[in-house]
Amino acid sequence: MKAKLILLAAALAVASGSQAQVLNKLKGKGEQKAGEAIDNLFSGKKKKDQNSGSSSTGNAGGNDNGGNSSNNGGTNHPSNNSGGGLVSTPPDVNQNLADAEAAYKKSSYGEARYAVQQAMLGVELEIGNKILKSLPEAISGLKKNESADQVTSSGYGWAGLMIHREYNDSKEKELRVTVANNSAWMAGVNAYLANGGYAQQTNGQQNWKQTKVKGNRAIIEYDESSGYKLSVPLGQSSLLVYEGVNFANESEMMKAAEAVDIDSIKKQLGEQ
Amino acid sequence: MKKILYLILFISSVAYSQDFDKNIATAKSSYGSGDLENARFAMEQMLRDLDIAIGKEILKMLPAQIGTMKVNEKEDNLTGGAGYAGGLYVHRTYGTSPKSGQVEIINNSPLINSLQTILTTPILGGMMRDENQKQVKIQGYKSLLTKSVDSETAKTNYELQIPMNNTLVTLRMDDSNEQEITAAANAIPLAKIVAIAQ
Repeated sequence: MKAKLILLAAALAVASGSQAQVLNKLKGKGEQKAGEAIDNLFSGKKKKDQNSGSSSTGNAGGNDNGGNSSNNGGTNHPSNNSGGGLVSTPPDVNQNLADAEAAYKKSSYGEARYAVQQAMLGVELEIGNKILKSLPEAISGLKKNESADQVTSSGYGWAGLMIHREYNDSKEKELRVTVANNSAWMAGVNAYLANGGYAQQTNGQQNWKQTKVKGNRAIIEYDESSGYKLSVPLGQSSLLVYEGVNFANESEMMKAAEAVDIDSIKKQLGEQ
Repeated sequence: MKKILYLILFISSVAYSQDFDKNIATAKSSYGSGDLENARFAMEQMLRDLDIAIGKEILKMLPAQIGTMKVNEKEDNLTGGAGYAGGLYVHRTYGTSPKSGQVEIINNSPLINSLQTILTTPILGGMMRDENQKQVKIQGYKSLLTKSVDSETAKTNYELQIPMNNTLVTLRMDDSNEQEITAAANAIPLAKIVAIAQ
């Protein structure tokens, strides 16, 4: 008797499962049909392509009128779904220096300046890439995220060179390291350090204070939503900024900061 | 007198040329030896040298006289700020107080964006209506003309700002009138200046 009851319960469970699957399929079909009906209503014709999936806009022009989207009333432009983007090609420094010299000899100073700016851009990108290579592969158990590596330069000199690296554990902990050269931030940070800090609190919530990283004076800040931020001026015109998200405490953040070879960065940027 | 002036100009241009040649040689050798920071520093100096050379060319293009006011060549001032200051700066004065004028040419001036916004957005220009300000065209370039009255002398002064791409040309004339400043601005070869300053 018991065995019969168990068998009956199992049969009911299988039946209800398959019923749910059938209902889901019907629901899916119903939604697909409804979607097609809405597409037809707005495009004024039935789509022939059953494999279009969800990218009806992308296929509308291509399938119906060979890329001409004028039948779509001019509002349904195809979206781009191909193309390899732009290739990042750093300027050829030697060539640009030669161009600058030739332009200068012809008194084409504007051309000469453009060529020098391009050469400078090339050199700054090389400096940035060298600094990225000198940074550790991992810090405090966080691995580098190579896809986030970034070197930014305008080639103007005064506009600055920016180098950015991120480390994370694929969860919630992250360390971001940014090196800024000829940066406008420098003035503010140096003014702070030169004045000995404006107001260090002795009670209540301490959110920023002066500290030292490998002998370099620095400022550490804490914000509940963004975490720790450590700013280290390097020489006359460079700044190293660490941003730590979900670090347990100040000492863990400081330990992570010490993993970076600051002297090497200073040397490569020509800072004393 | 003229000969002495030409001699001074010649000597100074040779000096700048030597600086550029020296800096480009340093940039090439430093880059070749992998000393990127020194190569970069030499290039910054080259940009400064070039700005100064461009500034000298611009000074040659400016008129020797605007209206009745003669140029004060001794007060000519030009700076190449490729390092940190922001770019080319050329300054020339005309006449003597109270009847005087100034021409300023600045690359990458922080004022350029706001001026261009006012000049290219009619609704914004309308909202910021000021009875002492108006838009005029000088050699086809939209410009902003501002009038002010000196509270001590009661004389009328004018300022004309002409933004061209990333170059801002400013002409100021004290004890003047609209016709005078417009005529003076039309005597400045703006298209040539902007072509060389870019």
